[in-house]
Amino acid sequence: MQALELSGIYKNFGSVRAVESSNLTFAAGELTALLGPSGCGKTTLLRMIAGLEEPSGGSILLGGRDITGLAAHQRKFGMVFQNFALFPHLSVRENVVYALVISGVSKTEAMETGNRLLDLVQLSGYGDRRIGELSGGQRQRVAIARALAQEPEVFLLDEPMSALDAKLREDMQVELRLLQQRLGITTVVVTHDQREAMTMADKIVVMSQGRVEQVGPPHQIYHRPENAFVADFIGKANFFDGVIEKGGIRVGSVLLQAQAAANFLNGSPVRVACRPETPCFFQRDAAGTSLKSKVTFVRDVGAVRDIHLETEIGRMIVEYARGETDHDFRIGQELSIVLPADGLHVFPRAEQAVA
Amino acid sequence: MTLVSDTQAAVVHPKPQSARFTVSVPAVVLWTVILFLCLTPFLLVLAISFGQKIEGASWEWAFTFANYERVFVGANWPEEFTALYLQRLYYSLFYAVIAALLAILTAFPFTYLMTRLSRRAQSAWLVFILSSLSLSEVFIVMGWDVLLSNRSGLPMVFKETGLTDWLKANGYFETMREWGLANPRNVKFKTSVFATVLTMAYLVWPYAVILLYPPLSRLDRSMIEASQTMGAGPWTVMRTVILPTMRLPLLGATLLLFVFLLGVYVAVTVFAEPAKQTMAVSVYEAVRGNTLNAPFGSAQAVVLLCTAAIFLVAGQWISRKSAP
Repeated sequence: MQALELSGIYKNFGSVRAVESSNLTFAAGELTALLGPSGCGKTTLLRMIAGLEEPSGGSILLGGRDITGLAAHQRKFGMVFQNFALFPHLSVRENVVYALVISGVSKTEAMETGNRLLDLVQLSGYGDRRIGELSGGQRQRVAIARALAQEPEVFLLDEPMSALDAKLREDMQVELRLLQQRLGITTVVVTHDQREAMTMADKIVVMSQGRVEQVGPPHQIYHRPENAFVADFIGKANFFDGVIEKGGIRVGSVLLQAQAAANFLNGSPVRVACRPETPCFFQRDAAGTSLKSKVTFVRDVGAVRDIHLETEIGRMIVEYARGETDHDFRIGQELSIVLPADGLHVFPRAEQAVA
Repeated sequence: MTLVSDTQAAVVHPKPQSARFTVSVPAVVLWTVILFLCLTPFLLVLAISFGQKIEGASWEWAFTFANYERVFVGANWPEEFTALYLQRLYYSLFYAVIAALLAILTAFPFTYLMTRLSRRAQSAWLVFILSSLSLSEVFIVMGWDVLLSNRSGLPMVFKETGLTDWLKANGYFETMREWGLANPRNVKFKTSVFATVLTMAYLVWPYAVILLYPPLSRLDRSMIEASQTMGAGPWTVMRTVILPTMRLPLLGATLLLFVFLLGVYVAVTVFAEPAKQTMAVSVYEAVRGNTLNAPFGSAQAVVLLCTAAIFLVAGQWISRKSAP
């Protein structure tokens, strides 16, 4: 398997820049997720990789070889489409071996490969069925097997789980990840579901408005977001606007202790992000800022409860996991919470410094 | 249960059957008119086809198969077998099949390319094609008559531009003569199978585009892209994805055009040789021509109708069999 490299690639649709100039490397054998909201340019980027969209500039390199000028049928990257794009006039097996048949592989060999791939995606015995007889999950497996039949150097998936129901989606995420690890194929998945990206990817590329916002492994993206967009888009976060003051952050009447504040000059306007699982209840010795708060709403979602609080610095949602001590929260109850100094993410805010 | 509760139950849950059998007067009138308009002409033709011609006069109601016998084996059977009207039926089928296929084969790539244009361009083309439907058969045939006429049309262009001489010099002229597309002096398109089929195909070409446009515009582009990512070039995509996916709309459109073309009259009378006229012309000649033999014309019309029905049923059977 070879690494895929995008160098200064961008795409314009008329006067609209769909994808800003991007430099990305997809390491050999790794699964990379292109993650972002609808219209952020992730699918356009994937289609440029596949050869289905011509870049307005920049180059695509596969193992150091420039493939920018190659058409899709010359690149032969296996691709799974959002709606699976299976051929209704062919049986399941004929769909799977399509790439082999058109490339002139003998029928016997193609059928053997087809059966092996159907085994791989746990659909042996389904080869003679029509596409219309399959469920959504089965269709997705056929689409995966079909894309893998030509043993592509790069495997591309465009929102492959979006047509599946929630339960099946979670199962397929794990299955797809295990399959990719078994085959060790360089894979790029487009998704707008951050949970899906976190589950499957070795590396996540977060995109917004055609730009690459951050690239990194899932834990880094989650725990060390580089900007407010990433902090907001990946997982949940409480946001507060403040100003740097004496090594802390002034938010209203409260001076928050935050390790990250040391990176900013006094008077700099900043935005603070705090993950809902970061604040601590009932731990008075925790290092950080203690805030008075009042419970306004409790949302029980099973394993955890979202506690909605009105605090001195604004409204917050704090996640409380049921542990050995199961506290009872009541609306109107007054509580003290601690925001740990190392749990606050601080980003510059586009605003003039307060004098 | 008491009588009161039974009554209440009946009030609360009225029986659906009473609603099912309610028929409104306007609906009955409408259906009667529709059935009358649809069935009466056909039933009349069917009834007349069993009628009997009175020599030197009109015809009378009867129940005889003589008209059908004349269509299939000739009037003098069993002494003599004549296939004149079967030949007419053959030419009806021949022209209709070739012209329908020609129209579909040329309209398909055009419509496919049209669906790839911008919405605005597609609308403009559709309006143009729909407006061309307003031209009558007579008008179109007249245009083609002028275009293909020996003295002022394409043959003249061939001669004046030296194309005829070039064809003669390169040996193609003899081939054209063999095909009936040239006389000893120049190329000629009237009368010929070529001109007949060409005009008939032209006649139904807009219909072909309009019939193929909806399925082609609904064609899932991602299937084409999927095949491209699996190594299929443009021709392979067409052969292995687009044509198989479109086979039912193609079959349906071909059948519709074929049935429509079975009844073409003006184009055949103008462009086909007398010996290669169709059954539609023969029907008209029998009913309105010198013989005034309405029963025989009706019998031919019924045979033509049954032929069309057989093709439609066969098409339906094939579609059902090959549906994914």
